[in-house]
Parts: sequence; C-alpha cells; structure tokens
Amino acid sequence: MAVRTFQARLLWLIVAVLALLEAGTLFSVYFAGQRTLGKSVHDQLQVGAKIFERTLQERALRLAGNLRILAKDFAFRELVASGDVPTISSALENQRKRVDAGAVLLVDLDGTVTADTLDGRLTRRPFPFPSLLADAQKKGEASATITFSNKPYQFVIVPVLAPQPIAWICAGFEIDEKALSDVRGLTSLDVSLWSSAAGLISTLPPEERNDLLAQMPRTPQTMLRLGNAQYATLLETLHTGDNSRVNVLLQRNLAEARKPFDRLVLWIFGLSFVMLAAAVVAAVIFSRSVSRPLRVLAEGAGRVERGDYISPIVVEQKDEIGQLATAFNQMQAAIGAREEQIIHQATHDALTGLPNRTLFLDRLSQSITASKRTGESVGMIMMDVDRFKEINDTLGHHFGDQLLIEIGRRLTQTLRQSDTVARLGGDEFAIKFTAPTARHATEVAGRVNTAFDASFVLGDVSIDVNASLGIALYQMHADDAETLMKRADIAMYDAKKNHSGFAFYEPGRDEHSLRRLALMMELRQAVARDELELYFQPKVEVSHGRAAHAEALVRWNHPRHGLMRPDEFIPLAEQTGNISLITKWVVRRAIGYCAEWNRGGLDLAVAVNLSALDLFDTELPTFISGLLSEAGLPPSRLVLEITESAIMKDAAYALKILRDLKRRGVVLAIDDFGTGYSSLAHLKRLPVDELKIDKSFVQNLTERATDDLVIVRSTIELGHNMGLVVIAEGVESQESWHILERLGCDMAQGYFMSPPLPAREFREWCERRAGAASALPEQTLNLAAHPRPPE
Amino acid sequence: MRSVGTSLLILILSSPLSAATIEIVVHDGRGAAVHDAVVYAIPEGRPVPPPRRTAVMEQRNRAFIPHVLAIQTGTTVRFPNLDDVQHHVYSFSPAKPFQLPLYKGNPPNPVVFDKAGVVTLGCNIHDQMSAYVVVVDTPYFEKTAANGRAALHDLEPGRYSVRVWAPDMRGEPPAKTVTVTVSERADVTFNIGR
Repeated sequence: MAVRTFQARLLWLIVAVLALLEAGTLFSVYFAGQRTLGKSVHDQLQVGAKIFERTLQERALRLAGNLRILAKDFAFRELVASGDVPTISSALENQRKRVDAGAVLLVDLDGTVTADTLDGRLTRRPFPFPSLLADAQKKGEASATITFSNKPYQFVIVPVLAPQPIAWICAGFEIDEKALSDVRGLTSLDVSLWSSAAGLISTLPPEERNDLLAQMPRTPQTMLRLGNAQYATLLETLHTGDNSRVNVLLQRNLAEARKPFDRLVLWIFGLSFVMLAAAVVAAVIFSRSVSRPLRVLAEGAGRVERGDYISPIVVEQKDEIGQLATAFNQMQAAIGAREEQIIHQATHDALTGLPNRTLFLDRLSQSITASKRTGESVGMIMMDVDRFKEINDTLGHHFGDQLLIEIGRRLTQTLRQSDTVARLGGDEFAIKFTAPTARHATEVAGRVNTAFDASFVLGDVSIDVNASLGIALYQMHADDAETLMKRADIAMYDAKKNHSGFAFYEPGRDEHSLRRLALMMELRQAVARDELELYFQPKVEVSHGRAAHAEALVRWNHPRHGLMRPDEFIPLAEQTGNISLITKWVVRRAIGYCAEWNRGGLDLAVAVNLSALDLFDTELPTFISGLLSEAGLPPSRLVLEITESAIMKDAAYALKILRDLKRRGVVLAIDDFGTGYSSLAHLKRLPVDELKIDKSFVQNLTERATDDLVIVRSTIELGHNMGLVVIAEGVESQESWHILERLGCDMAQGYFMSPPLPAREFREWCERRAGAASALPEQTLNLAAHPRPPE
Repeated sequence: MRSVGTSLLILILSSPLSAATIEIVVHDGRGAAVHDAVVYAIPEGRPVPPPRRTAVMEQRNRAFIPHVLAIQTGTTVRFPNLDDVQHHVYSFSPAKPFQLPLYKGNPPNPVVFDKAGVVTLGCNIHDQMSAYVVVVDTPYFEKTAANGRAALHDLEPGRYSVRVWAPDMRGEPPAKTVTVTVSERADVTFNIGR
C-alpha cells in the first residue's frame, strides 16, 4: 500500500467532497432539464399546431387578398361582364401565373363554372365545392383546405364586384413542402401532412419519411423513431372544406431540442471542472499550510533519530502545531540529555570517571585519522600500577579504588587537555598523546612518572606507588589504534619485566607472537619428550692444543622448522618463563655426558650457559649440586657461563646465587665479556674463575686489526692479573690462533678448531685430537675442512 | 335557395277624380317596409308617351345621389360631379354599359338610357360608391318612401302591369295586373325576398 501523505489525503478529501457535490448538481440539473425538456417539447408541439393552423389561415387571407385585387381589376371586371369565355379563360390563366396558384375558376352567381384554368374541364359544370361557395355567399368571401387532384389545396373564393357581385373567382393553392417548411422555419418542428388520397407531404428527410409512412401514428401524442432520430409527435386532424381526412403531424427532433440543454450541461460541466480546479489549488495551498509545519516536525523527528539533539524545530505558528513543536523541542532536549548520560556511562569508567576502553580506542582512532592529515605523530602509553594486587590484598579494595581514583586524577592533572587519560580496567590506564618524535614521547612518559613521585596519602595511609609504562607510537610502531594498543601493552610488559619504569615497543617483538606462542608450547613438549639435543664445542688449551672444556649448546630438531639454534628459541623461553626448564634439562644432560666421558677416560669439563633469569632461581645451586653428586662428577667439572649483562640485571641478587654456586665448587665463567658495561670494580667482586672474550673481538683478529688486538691483549692481561683463566671465543683463523698463542691466551674456542658437534662426533674429534696432539698444522687443515655455518 | 312566400294583396280603390291612382306598399319577407324600392305600372295594350324630362345622378361626398334613380326608357341622365375629386363612373350592366372616364364637374355628354333594365353604377376610383338606375318602359313609376309606400297618380283608366324592383332583391316577384277606372284607387302590396 502506497504511503499517502496527509496533504494528499486532505487534497483527496476536498476534491472528493466537491466532486460529489458537483456531480449531485449536475445530476439534478440533468434530470430537471430532462423533465423540462419533455414538457417544453410537448408545449412546442401544441404551440406548433396552433402556429400551423394560423399559418394556413394567414396564407389563405394573403391569397384571398391577392385574389381580391385581381377581382377588382377594372379590365378584368369589364371582361367578366362581357361574358367572352375564351378571353376570360386566358385572363384566368394569366392571373393564375401571377398569383402562383394551382387553379383559378370563375363562377357565376348561380354556382356554375364560367371558365377555368384546367383546360375547361369544369366549365359549364357546377362549382365543385358548393359549401365553399355557400360560405362565401354568406361571408362575402371564403377559404378552405380541400383535397384536389390528390393534393391538399387551399382554396379561396372572392366575388367580382361591379360594384355589385357579378361573379365569383376562386383560386386553389397547393400546400406543398415549401408551405410546410415556412412553418418549420417558425417553429423548428417538422410538419407532415398525410391523407389517404394525397399521401405524405413532409419537411422530414426522405429516409425518415419512409419510416413515418411505415408507422403512421393513431394517437395524438407519440414518440417515433425515424431514421436515427427520436421524434416527439403530435397528431391532429386538419379541418377541410370537403370533409376529407387529412392528418397533420408535428414532430420535434429530440436530439435537436436537447441541443441547447446539452450545451447548458456542457457549460455546467465545464464550470464544475473550473471550480474543481480552483478548489484543488485552494486545497493544495491550505493543505500545504497545514502539512508544511507537519513536515518540519517530521524532519525534526528525523534529525532526532539521526542523533541531532541540537537543531530545534522552527515552527512560527502559535496553534496546536506550534505547541507540538515546542513540546517536541523539549522532548528533543530531554532525549539529548539522557542520551548524553547514557553515552557517558557507556564510554566512561564508573569509578574514576575517565574514558573507558571503548572511548579511548575511539579517540585514538580519531587522532590517528587526524594525524594522517596533519602529519603529527600520535603516541599512547599503556600504564600498569606495580604491585597493585598486593596493595589491594593488603589494604582492601576500597583503598585500591581510592588509589585508582587518585591516580586518575593525578594523570589528568599532569597531562595536557588534548591528551586522553583512560582507565581500561583493573589497574590498567592508557594515555593518548600527540608527540612529534620519540623524544617527546619520552618526555610524556617522564611526566607520567612524576605523577607517582609523591606518596599517595589516602586516609591515614601513605603509600609509594610505581607504574610501568609501555609506549607505542603511531606510524613508527603501528598503523592503527588496535595494534598500537597491543604494542603499547607489549612494551608495558617489557618495562615491567625490566623494572625500567617505561619501555618503547621494540619493532618485531610482536610479529611472531602467535608463532612464538605455538613454538613455546612445542618447546615445553620437546623438553618433556627429551627432543632437544646437545652439541658440544671444544675449548682448546692454547698451550697444549688439548680440549679442556666442552661447551654444551642446545639444539632443537623441530619437526617442521628443522634444526633450530639456541638464539632462535632461548629468548622466547626467557620471555615466557620457560628458561629454567631448558637450563635444568641442559645441565642434567651435560653432566650426564661429562660423567660418561670421564668414565671413558676423556678428561674434560663441560660448560653450560645460564640465562639471566636463572640467576633469580635460588633453587638452582641446590639442583646442580644434586645432579653432580648424582652423576659422581666433581663440581669443578662443571663450568657455568653467565653473560655480563645477565649479572648486571640485578647484580645483587645474581651475586648471591653466584656465590652459592661458587661455594659448591662449580666453575664460573663470564660469557661475552666486553659487550656489557660492567665496571672493573664490579667485575672484581664477582666470584668467577674464567673470562670469555666476546667473539666480536676475536673473529677478525689479525695483526693489522689494532683495536681488536689491543682489546684482546688488555683483556687477557686484565684477566690474568685478576687471576682468571682467559678464553677467546670465535677463533676462525690460524692467524687468530697464533696471535692468541702469542698473547698468552689460555683457551680458544671457535670454528678454527671445531664447530659445535653432536656428542658422538665430539667424542671422536677428541680422540683424534688426542692421537695427534702435537701436529697442529695438520689439524689446521682438518679443522679448515669444517664449513662455517651461516650466521 | 331560400323559398320566399309571395302572397299578394291587391287593393283597388276608386279615385274621386277622373284620374285613377294605384297605391303600392312594399314589404320584405320579414314584413318590414322597403324604402327606395322602385314601383312602376306598365299600361297593357296601349302606347306610352315619351319621356318629357332629363334626370340627374349627382356625385357628392363620394356617393351617388340618389342611390336609386328611376327613369323612363330613353331618358337622358346627367352625371354632375360636385366633389373636388375626380370620379370614373362606369356600368357593366347589359341594359346600359358605359364609362365616364375621370372627370370633374359636368361631363360633356349626358347618357341616354334607351333600354329598360337595372343599370348598376360604380366608380372605378371609389369602390364604395354604387347606385342603381332603374330604366322602365313607362312614365308611371315611383320610389317607395321610408314607410314602403308609393302612389302612382294620374293614371288613365285601364289595365296595368304593376312591378317592383329593389336593391338586394332576391328574384323579381311576378307582376301584378291591375285595372283602374276613373277616380278609382287601386292598392297593390308587394312582398319581396331580400
């Protein structure tokens, strides 16, 4: 069903009512007209009959007048008096032509025809119309309608006076169509004469004459269908002088009679149409004046629907519609206020009143969109309150809530208005800011940190609170708000892990997170199923060329990724807290191999790398001791290699563990020495036995590489001075070997001697080496045969 | 044709003088007296004396005066026109057809009515003008007065055929034969149809 507007309905209503009224008028006019028409036709016929009668009378008078003039002609009278019949006959013929008569007779006073214009047919015979003559003798002159030679005639008779009557002159005039059409001209009626003798004389068209003959009426008033027309018919009998029956038919063509009426109806119809059109125009104007404000209202409602609560409806009318508009505007304002409240609730954190995650994400997206235009850099900080759970548990949730409120307040105060501080949930806050560079971002992070400078005093409790901040910058770290948040989160966890206060997102950290997660699962399974493998690389004593230590390096033969090197999965294990699993596995297996080799006469120690995180594992020393004693291996046969940076992470704590291990007789070595920033003083305090020069200094060690040479030389000297065994890693050439030899380095490790080898191959290498301990050059060739693996 | 009763009543009265008189009364069918009817008596078997005088038919005020003029056969009648318009006097009557074309005053020639009969006069200019000249073969004629009476005086004794004529008369009633003696008076009554 079509939607019909109010305006259209109103319009239809008005038009319908008016059309109904006009139709009624038209119908009344029509029917009244029909009735009037019927009556008028009837009257016309009656009047027509009278006019016809009168016309005949007048015609007779006129003819009589003509005849009288003739009768008074002196010569004619003289002729009649003379009794010269042939001359009289020719004079009559002459007069007949003059007055256009059908026949002229001269009758003597005795009623005998003296002369005629009918070739003497009636001459000397009695006058054929004695009643006419009698009438004339009585009245001086007379006239009558008479059927004569099968035609209706009007005969008139007048005396010939000299000056007393001496004769009668009588003339007959045919009533022909012309005479009837005179009546038709006067009355608009068709006139027909019919008699059995004369037949039909009519003003009707020929075709309709035939129809009339076929249905000659007998009643005074009838309706006849002649041809294609309907005729109202009046039948009268003509008074005749010879008592013959002549019917007079007066007929009105109804279609013609209706013409003026039809014109009137057409007029009224046209007038109605004009009125209707005028009414439509008026209705349109009126309905528009009503519907326009309604439409304004509808549009206003549409605006509210679309969420526009500001633009009011402007209706100037003061009527009901105006009141409605006012009410509508009030409603709009109320809805607007309520929706604002709802939106506020939906987009803000109830506790702190800060924007929530939804709104934050929204604003972040907006800023990013804006920055695409302005080129400005957008950054965000993900912030997490350190030890909040502890605070909550210890001081209660109410306190925790108060703290969060206070933190929110301080953050808001600290930051610019254009920045957004949001509470995402729990103790997690997020800050959106604009910063041209990473340095500015650092400043923002610094400012955030200052919010935590002062102690939080809530009630009678004062507490110091720290927070970890993860920073991610748009364009530098991510292209969209969601990713940016995720990366800021990652950075925050880095910051938390490093206790560094804040951290920027490190590119690439996030890319393989899913893969890493899966890998981690697999790694745990691999450890559990013993799918890891140990490779060993010898540390060769430079003085003897004998392998003194074997550094155990873990390899993971991954079912899909193939053989994986430690740096591909150890950092992952560290990040996911699984490193101790691996460390423990490696230590156990390394001790196992070492014990086996020692039993087999292969006199060497095994070296295992510890992760920085292992240094937080207070149980590690006990665990290692347990393994050693279990394997029956002297602790000195186990070397634990720790990187400089690992120790530096939490030096104090690490030191504790290291001392413990040292006390248990395990040999400790500083790995990758020279890359960290540990001070010598620091170094001095470490309970280590060996020092491994980082391979970056050794790999390209030549006589010409003076810098490396100086460092290596100094380090060796330093180590020796501190009573440490110095080991050079990354020895890959004979030249390096010779230099190390010359510098008095204790041990060397590298591809020049041997790559890391599986346990069995390592053992074979050791046995070959023992067999040719003094033939270094030969070894060199052998060693060189090992291809260097790609970095 | 209406039948008219024609009963005749003849009264013959003897005159105290030597000459005889015939008194005549004319009635119409309804018994009304007929004025200006011409009554005349024609002696039977005896010649009549010729006319002694002329007669005058004036035209005055567009009318003939008198309306009926009775004369003896052979009498000359003058037609003086006393109007200031012209008249055209005519007669189509067989007894004396004539015309006096348009004239004023006295026409040059008087008309002699030499044949007995009724001559109807008309004026070709004025249709309403009409008059009768009744020409009789006897010097004994008279017009009836308003009471329908007339008397024929100074008749010689003898047989007379008495006749009557009046305008608009329907058919001439049969003549009445009357024989008068000296000083005798005869009465004749005519009933005429009109």
